[in-house]
Amino acid sequence: MVFLKQIPQFLVWMLLLLLLLRGFPGRRRAVSFWSTGGFALGVAGYLLLARLLPVRVPLGIIRSVMGGSFLLLWGVAVASLYRSTVRDFPLLRLDRFTPLCAMVGSGAAGLMAGGICANQLPAPDGSLLRFLPFLLLPLAGALLAVIARSVEGVVIPSYAATPSSLLAAVVALLLLSSSAAITLDLFSPLSMKVMKGTHDFVHQFMESILIPDHLFIRPEIWGYIGFLFGKEVGFWGGMIIWFTPVLLIALAIWLEPLPSVAQFRQGARRRLLLAAAIREKKHRMVIPALALVAFAAAAYRSSFPSVEYWDPKPLAVTATPAGEILIPRKGEVELEDGRMHKYLYKQGDKEVRFFILMNPSGKLTVDLDACAICKPDGYGQTEGMLLCYYCKTLIPLDTVGRPGGCNPVPVPFRELEDGVHLDASSLVNSWNQTVQSTTRSKEGGK
Amino acid sequence: MASIIIEAAGLTKSYGEICALKPLDLSVPEGEWLSVMGHSGSGKSTLLNLVGGLDRPTAGTLKVGGEDLLGRDEDGLARFRREFVGIIFQQHHLVPYLTALENVMLAQYFHSLPDEAEARTALERVGLGRRLKNRPGELSGGEQQRVCIARAIINSPRLLLGDEPTGNLDGSSTTMVLELLRELRSQERFTVVMVTHNQEVADWGDRTIHMDDGLLVREERKVF
Repeated sequence: MVFLKQIPQFLVWMLLLLLLLRGFPGRRRAVSFWSTGGFALGVAGYLLLARLLPVRVPLGIIRSVMGGSFLLLWGVAVASLYRSTVRDFPLLRLDRFTPLCAMVGSGAAGLMAGGICANQLPAPDGSLLRFLPFLLLPLAGALLAVIARSVEGVVIPSYAATPSSLLAAVVALLLLSSSAAITLDLFSPLSMKVMKGTHDFVHQFMESILIPDHLFIRPEIWGYIGFLFGKEVGFWGGMIIWFTPVLLIALAIWLEPLPSVAQFRQGARRRLLLAAAIREKKHRMVIPALALVAFAAAAYRSSFPSVEYWDPKPLAVTATPAGEILIPRKGEVELEDGRMHKYLYKQGDKEVRFFILMNPSGKLTVDLDACAICKPDGYGQTEGMLLCYYCKTLIPLDTVGRPGGCNPVPVPFRELEDGVHLDASSLVNSWNQTVQSTTRSKEGGK
Repeated sequence: MASIIIEAAGLTKSYGEICALKPLDLSVPEGEWLSVMGHSGSGKSTLLNLVGGLDRPTAGTLKVGGEDLLGRDEDGLARFRREFVGIIFQQHHLVPYLTALENVMLAQYFHSLPDEAEARTALERVGLGRRLKNRPGELSGGEQQRVCIARAIINSPRLLLGDEPTGNLDGSSTTMVLELLRELRSQERFTVVMVTHNQEVADWGDRTIHMDDGLLVREERKVF
């Protein structure tokens, strides 16, 4: 069952190997060796780090490397476009370093793929049954490498990969693989960053020129400005950042000049050479096209993270005549089990959602099921993280209880022997303020 | 001494029980104009089809341009026809709804890339500079055959095959077409293999082979 869930990851790993073998046609043995070795090392490294350190450390390393690779891809894409205009760019003259590139590139790609695949397995608890998949995973990776090597032999040789398109496809496939887990997904945080960046820019801009008091800004103008704060801006902005590198690489290939054929007297000879160059150029577009599909699939998968999250149904609570809400420490739910417990308090026609959570440092925290930025769609809990349903931002559990950003808004409370005591009116006020401010942001307010 | 462009040994072609070409040995030097004469059913078109890569022999060996045609797969044969051979047919086989220029460009398209300027020059070389935009139906038989010649030479073939190219033409048009072929051959230095049943046409060649019932029965070399 565990390995069935790995099938998409295995397919991605196979494609990755095919690409690497295609990218370094003279170095098949080195590519197979280093990528398979890297894969095994990635699994072992993840297992080791996850056992020795909190799980967020290896996850953080993988995410950072993925983010770094994406930034590198951006740089390479811009450089490729610059180079396609017949300008020499020494950094992209990698022919001399082909053996090194094959070794390092294959090893690094294998390392990342191994780490990502290992992350999909249930965390080991010391039992052999949970440990066994981690032993079998490198073997499966090696077996797939053997299959990929025999499959690669039948691929038409003219489907060559340029260094930039190879990098694009490898990064795209790793992003696709990692997008299966919300803890590794990059697209949702990227779109959130765009949304937040736009929001912060507009906010600071308005603040700096004191727009609210400005004579020429009529209230309806906020309707247009408010559009900038919407989820759609984050989504489409993220899409642009996500797809642009591979589109630039494809454009660079398209813009590459055709070879000079002026020295050939025969028109037929000239045309044959030009036709061959054009055909080769079209074939070289196949890998960026594949990368584009992988990027699209990764973005699509980001909307449906395969990791299940804890999403408890809110329990209805009432206040005492003195206006106090008491949540017992032990009762219908166990407050100190490390899981988020949601509650619903009704006052007239007002409904307030909040949750109580014991964070990893052992402190209870009470927060609104909403943040100061997004629409109050609430949160779900996954391993070591909360997930904002609206913007898909992940919030580490040990930062829950701190105000700001996409963190849930903390609520004052008293922790006594019998449980958690809340003041109903301040809870309602806090909810109203938060919801009003975020709604105004979304509907045109600042 | 010119290199050998066509080298056949024991070349045979059968269609079921009918043996269209009986074991034939033939050697054609590069740049030669070879005329192939014979009655209908003597095997001359069969020989042309084999040499042009349009058909495969039943037995024997056939080397064209130093390469064994039998060893080529379908793609290889198609590439050979595209890049090595130009063919002129008696019935022209021009696309009726394309202009003369477009018919020539079509051959360029299947070879590599269309190049209008080059196609225009080819038609000007065969004396059709003013009939570029005319469709085949608007051209005389001789003009249509000249379009065929332009189409056949546009991809600079090393071997030009003619299957009764003047069969439908009157005397003056025949002479015009043959003179044109001779002039182009001297410029482009391609080899000509032309099938005909007309002795006068055959006499334009450097050598004539006579075929009968699939056999090479006689060979005549022109004495200059």
